[in-house]
Amino acid sequence: MNAIVVLILAAIGIGVGYGIYAKSIDRRVIQPDPSKATPAKMYMDGVDFIPANRNVLFGYQFKSIAALGPILGPIIAVQWGWLPALLWIILGVFFIGWVQDYASIIIGVREEGQTFGALSYRLISPRARNILLAFIYIYLLMIMGAFGIQVGFSLLTNPAVPLGVIIVILAGLLAGQMTYKWKQDIILTTVVTVIIALVGIWLGTLPAVKNAFNAIYGYQEGKTEPPTLFLDVNQAEFVGSLLVLIFCYLGAVLPIWRWAQPINYIAFWIVLFGILGGVIGLLIGRPGMGDFPAFTGFMAAAGPLWPMLFVTIACGAISGWHSLVSSSGTARQLEKETDALYVGGGAMFLEMFFATIAFLAATTAFGSFQGYQDAGGPAAAAAVFSKGLSVFLNNWGLDAALGQGFGVAYGAVFLTLMALTIMHLVVRFMRVASAEALGDRFPILRNVHVGTIIALLFTVFLIWFVPFLKIWGVFGAANQLMASLALLLITLWLMSRAKNYQWTFWPFAFMFVTTVAALLWSAYSSFFISLPKAKDWQDVVAQVTIGTLALILVVLAVILVVDGIRAILRYRAELAKARR
Amino acid sequence: MSEQRSKWQNFLDSVKSVLYGMAGHDMTRFALKTRGSMEHLFILVTMGDLLGIPILPPYYSLRLLPYVVPQIATWKRRMLRERDLTDALA
Repeated sequence: MNAIVVLILAAIGIGVGYGIYAKSIDRRVIQPDPSKATPAKMYMDGVDFIPANRNVLFGYQFKSIAALGPILGPIIAVQWGWLPALLWIILGVFFIGWVQDYASIIIGVREEGQTFGALSYRLISPRARNILLAFIYIYLLMIMGAFGIQVGFSLLTNPAVPLGVIIVILAGLLAGQMTYKWKQDIILTTVVTVIIALVGIWLGTLPAVKNAFNAIYGYQEGKTEPPTLFLDVNQAEFVGSLLVLIFCYLGAVLPIWRWAQPINYIAFWIVLFGILGGVIGLLIGRPGMGDFPAFTGFMAAAGPLWPMLFVTIACGAISGWHSLVSSSGTARQLEKETDALYVGGGAMFLEMFFATIAFLAATTAFGSFQGYQDAGGPAAAAAVFSKGLSVFLNNWGLDAALGQGFGVAYGAVFLTLMALTIMHLVVRFMRVASAEALGDRFPILRNVHVGTIIALLFTVFLIWFVPFLKIWGVFGAANQLMASLALLLITLWLMSRAKNYQWTFWPFAFMFVTTVAALLWSAYSSFFISLPKAKDWQDVVAQVTIGTLALILVVLAVILVVDGIRAILRYRAELAKARR
Repeated sequence: MSEQRSKWQNFLDSVKSVLYGMAGHDMTRFALKTRGSMEHLFILVTMGDLLGIPILPPYYSLRLLPYVVPQIATWKRRMLRERDLTDALA
C-alpha cells in the first residue's frame, strides 16, 4: 500500500471520528454550555486555575500527550504486519482514544477541577486513589527503562549522535541564561540557540568527531561490536547509559528554569522541524510498502496479537497518561466548556496522525519487511524511526552522502531529546513521589540527591538487565490500566449524572479485559516460557522482575474492578430509586 | 478582499497560538506557578493566623494586611485545596 493511501485513510478516520461521532456525543450527551463558568474562571488564582485561549490550550494539550509513545508503539507493533497496527491506530482513537481525553477534560471541568486521584477516591473507593498512584509509579519506572534502553543502548551508541545531543543541551542552557538572567527577547534567543543546536548536530557527523567517539566507545576495525564490559553491556552501551543517567540526574536536581525547561524549549524546535521535514519528505517521495506483509501471523516476538498489540500501541491509540494531563492540567485552564472537544478530542486525533507518520517510517521508508528488520526491527524501534526519518528527509533532494549522515544523526538526536526531556521530568516526579510516600518514615528520602539517585538506580537496573520488548509490554499495560481507570471513572460520573454511558462503558470493558490479559500473558511468558530457558543469572533476574511487576499490576487491577463494580451497582441502584 | 485577509490573519493567529501553546505555554505557567508559590508562602508566613497558624505578631500582620487583602481569597483556596501527587503531573 502507498503512504498517501494510508494518510488518506487516517484523514477519513479523523474526519468521520471527529466531525461526526465526537461532535454528536458532544452535542447530545455532554451538551456543553459556553456561558457556564468553568473552574478556570470560577477559581482563577493566576497559578493553577487560569483561562487560556483554545488554540494555546490545543498546542499545550498536544505537546503534553505526544512524546515517544506514539512513535515507538507503531514501529514495534508492525511486527504483526501493517494491517493490525494501522487498524488499531485508527479504530482505537475513533472509539476509545478521543473519548477518554475529551471526557477527562469534561469531568475535570464539571467537577471543579478535581484531579483523577481525588475523583477516584470519591467516585470509586478510597483505595482506588492509591491504586492509581501505584499504576503511575510503575508506569513512570517503565518509561525510564524503555526510553533509557532506546537512548542509551541504541541512539547514543551511534558515534554521530552524542556531540549533537550535548550541544543541543548546551544551547538549551544558553537559552535559559538569555531568557531569565540576561532578559533577552525570546525570538532572538530562539534563533540564536536553535542555529547553534542545528550546527551542533551537523558537527557531530564530521569524521573527526565520529572517530573520537568511536575511540571512547571502543569500536575497533574489523569488529562489529565494542568489547563487552559486564553482563551483556558493551562499552558503547555503558557510555550511552551513563550519559543518560548524567542528563537525568542534572535535570532532576537543578532548578527547572536552569535545565529542564529551556532544554525542552530548544528540543521542541528540533522536533518540530524534524516532523515537518519528515512529513514533507514523505509527501514528496510517496513511498510504497513493497513486500511488507499485511499480516505476519498471530504470534510475534512480543507475544500474541491479542492482547499484546493493544498495549504495544498505547499513545497513538489510547493512553491513560492523557487522562491525567487532561484532568489536572487542561481542565483547569479551559475558558469555555465548548472548547473541550476541540482541545481534548482534536489533540488526540492529531496524535493519531503523528502515530501514522511513525507507522509509515517503519513500513515504507525501507521498502520491505527485511529492510525494517535490518534497520533494527521492534527491539530497536528508535533506530528504525531515525533511519526512516532520514530517508524521508533525503527526499528533499539533499546530496545522498550529506543527507544520510545528517539525516540519521538528526533523527537520532530528535528522538534522544524527545526521550530525555520526558525522562528528567519523570525522575523529578519519582523523587517527589518517594519523598511524599516514605519521607516520614525515612527522612533521608527527602534529600533531593538521595531521592534522585534511588530513582536512577531503578532505571539503570532496568536498562542493564531487562530486554526492551519485555519492559515495553508492562509499560503499555500500566498505561492502559490507567486508561481503564479513567474510563471507569467517566462511566461512573455519567451514571451519577443519569447520562448515556454506553460510549465509555464498552471502551472501559474492552481495555480492562485486554490489559489484564496482556499482563497475564507477560507473567506467564516470563515465568513459564522464558525463565526455564534462561541462559544466565541476568536473564533469571530480568524474567522474575517483569513477571512479578505484571502480577502486581494484575492484583491491583482486580481490586480496582471489584471496587468499580460495587460503585456501578451503587449508582444503578440510585438511578433505579430516582426513577421510582 | 479584506474579509479574505482577515480570514488569513485569523488562521495565522491560530497557528501562532498553537505554536505558543506547544513551545512556551508551559514556561509561562511555570513562571506563574513559581511567583504564585512565593507569594502564597509569604502570605502564609505573615498572615498564617488566618488559617490558624500564628507565626508573626499581629502588629506586622496588620501593617501588611492592606497589601495582602486582594489575594486572600485565592490564597485560602489554594492552601486549603485537597492535593495529591497527580496535581504535580500537569
